[in-house]
Amino acid sequence: MAANAPPMTATDSLSQAVKANIIHNQEYLLQGSVLDSAVEVLLHRLRGLCDNVDAGPETFDDQEVCFILRDPNQQALPSMLRVRKALDARDMPYQLRYIGQADGEKNRPTVLRSVLDIACSGMLFEFLNELGCRIEYEYSVKGYMFRKGRMKITVAKVFKIPQSSMAPEPISQSYLVELSVLAPTGQDAIGEDMRAFADQLRPLVQLDKIDYKRLSHMAVT
Amino acid sequence: MGVTILQQYPVPENKTGTFVIDLLTKRLLALGATQQGQFLVDCESYLSLPQMGPTKTVHVLHNSEQPASVFSILESGSKNIHVVADSLFDLLMMKLSNIYTSKKQTKMESKGTRLELGDFCVKLGSVTMNQSFKGVLIEVEYRPCVMANAVWGLLREFLQGLLGPSVPVQPPQHFLSRMNEIYTPIDTIYQYLEHFSAFRKSTGLRSAV
Repeated sequence: MAANAPPMTATDSLSQAVKANIIHNQEYLLQGSVLDSAVEVLLHRLRGLCDNVDAGPETFDDQEVCFILRDPNQQALPSMLRVRKALDARDMPYQLRYIGQADGEKNRPTVLRSVLDIACSGMLFEFLNELGCRIEYEYSVKGYMFRKGRMKITVAKVFKIPQSSMAPEPISQSYLVELSVLAPTGQDAIGEDMRAFADQLRPLVQLDKIDYKRLSHMAVT
Repeated sequence: MGVTILQQYPVPENKTGTFVIDLLTKRLLALGATQQGQFLVDCESYLSLPQMGPTKTVHVLHNSEQPASVFSILESGSKNIHVVADSLFDLLMMKLSNIYTSKKQTKMESKGTRLELGDFCVKLGSVTMNQSFKGVLIEVEYRPCVMANAVWGLLREFLQGLLGPSVPVQPPQHFLSRMNEIYTPIDTIYQYLEHFSAFRKSTGLRSAV
């Protein structure tokens, strides 16, 4: 009788999910930016192109803390872990995100990197600190989210975390625009769809692959 | 979800774990309990590399009662820090395997029958470490109440009646500072970890409480 069968171990059910390739662990990503003065036009265009027209775009206001976990043997590249906390919905769980290295394939239309998104509650910051992670930097990000099928488009402003109760100070005079899809391994066709969508926004914002290797050599202030 | 208490049942000499579990199942069925499926709690521990400084242990536990959650407790010196995450947390631990290595030979499991008796839910678990039998753990949950202080007397009476006078029933270590707080699933996990750690340390069957 199924009801009396011993429950499957969590490890077994997870490895089944891995085998069936249903875990969304790959992120296809394009990024760009738009000046503050032009953002209204872009938002208007996105409202016309995206799915959630009736309700209008969803807003978000998140704080993100970026951690790094170094391999003491220095054989592997450091692991990047990011924690996101919604400032406008404080009872929501933390979002812990593991970000792997981008694959670096030149012919691919988008950046492709492995990603794990994990909802967490509890003492996550203390946990990561004790685990050996170090905070690299933190910022808050506030803006709008749109959807187009499986694609997620965010237009958001990045702020420095204020030291006291002052208003957060924007990092630049522009908005960060990201177009991303989380998908299981091997769904490369989505990259083409994203390119096609990015082309429709082309006159307003140029969404592109950002070469992280080049950025990592620049000093972060 | 109510208050849960986890109690070890010492297996008498020249008796098997199966014998003890059969005996307790019969007692519960005679009281009018009904069998409601099976349960499983498991725990795998990961150790940090020696180059990282003082050893830290990450215990990752799963409970079939909360099948979508992964419970993780980081033991660092005398401090315990917990995180409750969704099931992809296990994949994250695999990604960190170059820093935190799994001690597969100490993987613990408690599994067995889940019985319901009125407001109580009783789980009779046979504990194994890496497939070898280590002892018996009994979990009793009183579901209508979430405050340990209000229900501890009732739970003790129930357990004492079920296990007989030879087994002393004490409040678990983890309860002492949390008697007046709202009980959550992580409190059950802390109790399992406490017992699993004691089972790991003991050689052969664990007799005393």
